[in-house]
Amino acid sequence: MKKTCFITVRIIVALVPLLLAACSTNVVVSGDYPSALTKPLPYHVGLVLNNSFTQYTFKSEEEQDVTMALGQSQSKLFDRVFTDIFANKSRLQTVTKQTATTPNPIDLMIVPSVEEVQLAMPFETRLNVFEVWIKYNVQVFNGDGEPIADWLMSAYGKTQTRFLKSEEAALNQATTSALRDAGVRLIVGFKHIPEIRDWIEHQQKEQQQKNKVMAQNGDPS
Amino acid sequence: MKGFYCSQIFTRTLFPILFPITCLAAVFLTGCSTSTIIDEYKVTDTHLDLHQGEQVVIMGRRHAGEYETEPDFINCIGGRLANGGQLNVMPEQEFLDSFYPWFEPRVAPLKLKRMSRMLEDPMIAERIKSLGIRYMVWVDGNTETTDKSGTFSCAVGPGGGGCFGFASWDKASIYEAIVWDLKQLDEKGRVKVETKGSSYMLAVGAPIPFIAQVQSDACEGIGNRLKGFFLEGAPAESTTPASVPKRDSERMLDHRGMIKS
Repeated sequence: MKKTCFITVRIIVALVPLLLAACSTNVVVSGDYPSALTKPLPYHVGLVLNNSFTQYTFKSEEEQDVTMALGQSQSKLFDRVFTDIFANKSRLQTVTKQTATTPNPIDLMIVPSVEEVQLAMPFETRLNVFEVWIKYNVQVFNGDGEPIADWLMSAYGKTQTRFLKSEEAALNQATTSALRDAGVRLIVGFKHIPEIRDWIEHQQKEQQQKNKVMAQNGDPS
Repeated sequence: MKGFYCSQIFTRTLFPILFPITCLAAVFLTGCSTSTIIDEYKVTDTHLDLHQGEQVVIMGRRHAGEYETEPDFINCIGGRLANGGQLNVMPEQEFLDSFYPWFEPRVAPLKLKRMSRMLEDPMIAERIKSLGIRYMVWVDGNTETTDKSGTFSCAVGPGGGGCFGFASWDKASIYEAIVWDLKQLDEKGRVKVETKGSSYMLAVGAPIPFIAQVQSDACEGIGNRLKGFFLEGAPAESTTPASVPKRDSERMLDHRGMIKS
């Protein structure tokens, strides 16, 4: 009798975590992002993806437990996008001041971070769609390590329907779609940020002046 | 004597069971048929040129917040238009990836004027040329449930389970396809399709669904008409009068795709 009770308790103890896990949604976001069809800017960019970005996990405990690991997928997207929109790209650990002796100096340094993630699930909205909003803060520094722009950028993605899909698959699809939208905003909008536009204009003027001086000195290059 | 006995079994036992089932099946099968109205406009009655190596791409509109054109529906039209390899149709996702980010919902051109401005970018124009994209068909619309009624419930017990009840729902598909010629930068025509249908679920023990194929009928209607833009002898040619330009050619299709007229 005592042995039967012991076995029953052990089974219950083993089943409780399983039942609790069944009530929560865990997603590791995975998606592929295509190359951008765009003319790269002629600068060397340094991308700083710190641990809080590369291992970012969104957790929600409102009504339903949702855990969404999107760090790897968003790192993949940012890596892809900045490779495509600049002529040269390097990964950096931190924002560092470029000295005159630095070989192949970096012109701009980018530090993205996640400001906010919001989910809308069918049980909340009564709609057959999953929606995801991601708000990023893209900080931009010049070669001297001085901040030149602080761009708050939001992206949105949704699934068409929840039918025939698990919650995990639907959330993965909605998040991938939001990340794809973030890519659109970066590719189309980055060079139109007023501070970045001014910086590019300034660089172009400096380059023109350099070319003029070189032409006056009779330098053929 | 034996024959008389058999006919008595039939009239007394089997007939009372089979007759209502047959009647119900007949009612539901006619009930779950769909009706389709197609409105077509063509700029010219000649077939659209599509040379060797040129292809068509079919794209869904997804810029509106409240709905988006279903990717499955776009694939369905693409399949119909490809017609077993007669037309080269580029899959939507492949096109979106090749031109990323220029045809994503946030920035996709809504009008031809914007498209022509986009083609001024040499990178986009070169990619269009290298892939041989001649026509772009934009499909806008969706399928939604317009009405629901009835209820049924299922239960499972130690001795078995079963369902009981009746439910019905109506679905409506409204789509419009616009054909753009990327070489001449003009619109070649439009096809609008409206399909409606009712579905039923009868549950006496096991649930028996009678589903109206609303979206697939809309796909068939729009796909066949679009095929008529490019191919000779396609269904659109045989069902519409050859006047230029054409409008308001309406046909009713039942759930098997037969023309009711």
